[in-house]
Amino acid sequence: MLFSSELIKGTLKTIILKLLSENKRMYGYEITQRVKDLTGNRIQLTEGALYPTLHALEADGLLTTETEYIGKRVRKYYSLSKEGKARSKEKVSEFADFIDTMKFLLDIKHKPV
Amino acid sequence: MYCINDKQIDFILNDIRRRGIEMEDLQSNLLDHICCIIEQNLKEGDDFEEFYKKTIPQFFENELWEIEQETITLLTFKNYYAMKKTMIISGIFSVTAFVAGSFFKIMHWPGASPLLILGIAAISFIFLPLMFVLKAKEASAAREKLVAGVGTLIGILLCMSTLFRLMHWPGASILWISTSACSIFLFIPIYFFSGLRKPETKTNTVVTTIILIGATGLLFSLTSIRKSRQNIFLETKTYYKNEQLLARMRSKVSSSTNTQLCNNIQNACDKIKGLILKEETGYDKLPPDFDTKNILITEGGIGDSFGGENEGSKLLNDLKELLNNYNTGKNTEGKVPVDYPFFELSSEGIMQFSNLSLLNSLTQIQLFVAGSELQLTPVK
Repeated sequence: MLFSSELIKGTLKTIILKLLSENKRMYGYEITQRVKDLTGNRIQLTEGALYPTLHALEADGLLTTETEYIGKRVRKYYSLSKEGKARSKEKVSEFADFIDTMKFLLDIKHKPV
Repeated sequence: MYCINDKQIDFILNDIRRRGIEMEDLQSNLLDHICCIIEQNLKEGDDFEEFYKKTIPQFFENELWEIEQETITLLTFKNYYAMKKTMIISGIFSVTAFVAGSFFKIMHWPGASPLLILGIAAISFIFLPLMFVLKAKEASAAREKLVAGVGTLIGILLCMSTLFRLMHWPGASILWISTSACSIFLFIPIYFFSGLRKPETKTNTVVTTIILIGATGLLFSLTSIRKSRQNIFLETKTYYKNEQLLARMRSKVSSSTNTQLCNNIQNACDKIKGLILKEETGYDKLPPDFDTKNILITEGGIGDSFGGENEGSKLLNDLKELLNNYNTGKNTEGKVPVDYPFFELSSEGIMQFSNLSLLNSLTQIQLFVAGSELQLTPVK
């Protein structure tokens, strides 16, 4: 089952920050592929959501970039800034709390699977 | 892995541009992304263009430029909060500085001018422009943006003309008149006609327009009774010159036959003048460098210290009595005139009496007394 884009939208920043904290630097396509692989195709990041978020994170100073020429085209690599590293931890722990709260709120433990 | 050639790269880049992606950064991101997809999924001998045409729609719902629009929205959204925060902080700061500055000015405490300048500058150059940018972003119609823009301009002009007038800076009157004119001939018509078109804002617009016209009229009427700094300076200078003349005469009198009564009259006049000057300038006496320090006597009421049983009205009554005593037994030429209107006014009336006129009349009385003592014939 593929998760809805509505669910992914709120967690996109967390996903990107966490992935970059585990990998030194990544480019856009690589991020989408890694997410796809890690989730067994259940989360597919759309380009329309990924790039605006990457630009916003860069503008916030959480990401730094470096460019490399691949033949005629330019590849932009993203990595975490010092602030981004700290924010990545915050975001992940915030989301963990959120999951716990949602579990409790939706009474997920007691529901038959 | 498919090997993409330069011609194909140019083809993709041109297509991305044609589809409305203008940000260079985004162009290269998308180009690399599409190239990666093609390289990973296209096999040698497959039709490149056909594959590309199938791939590109997965990037958007309706059009490719949606990505750029979303990027811009996210970027401005971030600025939006920073701007809003700055606007609120600058607003609180300027209002505090302005209120404190006005209070300091009334109390004649030091630091009034920097506070007023800082407060008004912050409201004019930070708060109002930011408010306009945020309003313009929220406004959908161009007409609403125009109203917000012209309104901001009038607000800045109003703040500036108030500052110029408070500080007696040159050009204050011109600014004041320009503000009134812009408001009446530009802002109010634009506001009125744009608001009138919408049925839901019609009544509010009419009421607000009437209030705006009334307020502008009031402001304009203030312009006409204000004097230019040049005139205020000349009046202050005339007063200062008279004071110098009086000081010179008194220095001669002191070495001759000076009586106790004369001394009492001179001292009473000095005290009253001190009260008026303190109220107006914060100083008991006009300093010689009044011009460079921007200490000017602006004509207005003489203030609270002369109302009712206050010190000023008591001193005026004492002075009248002293003058009557002085005149007793003197011939017509030696008498000091006492037919000044301020001696006859009620306690309410005296508060409205012109400070400058009272100051000059008192100096005149002092000159008469000093002149008589020097056996000079007073000038009629």
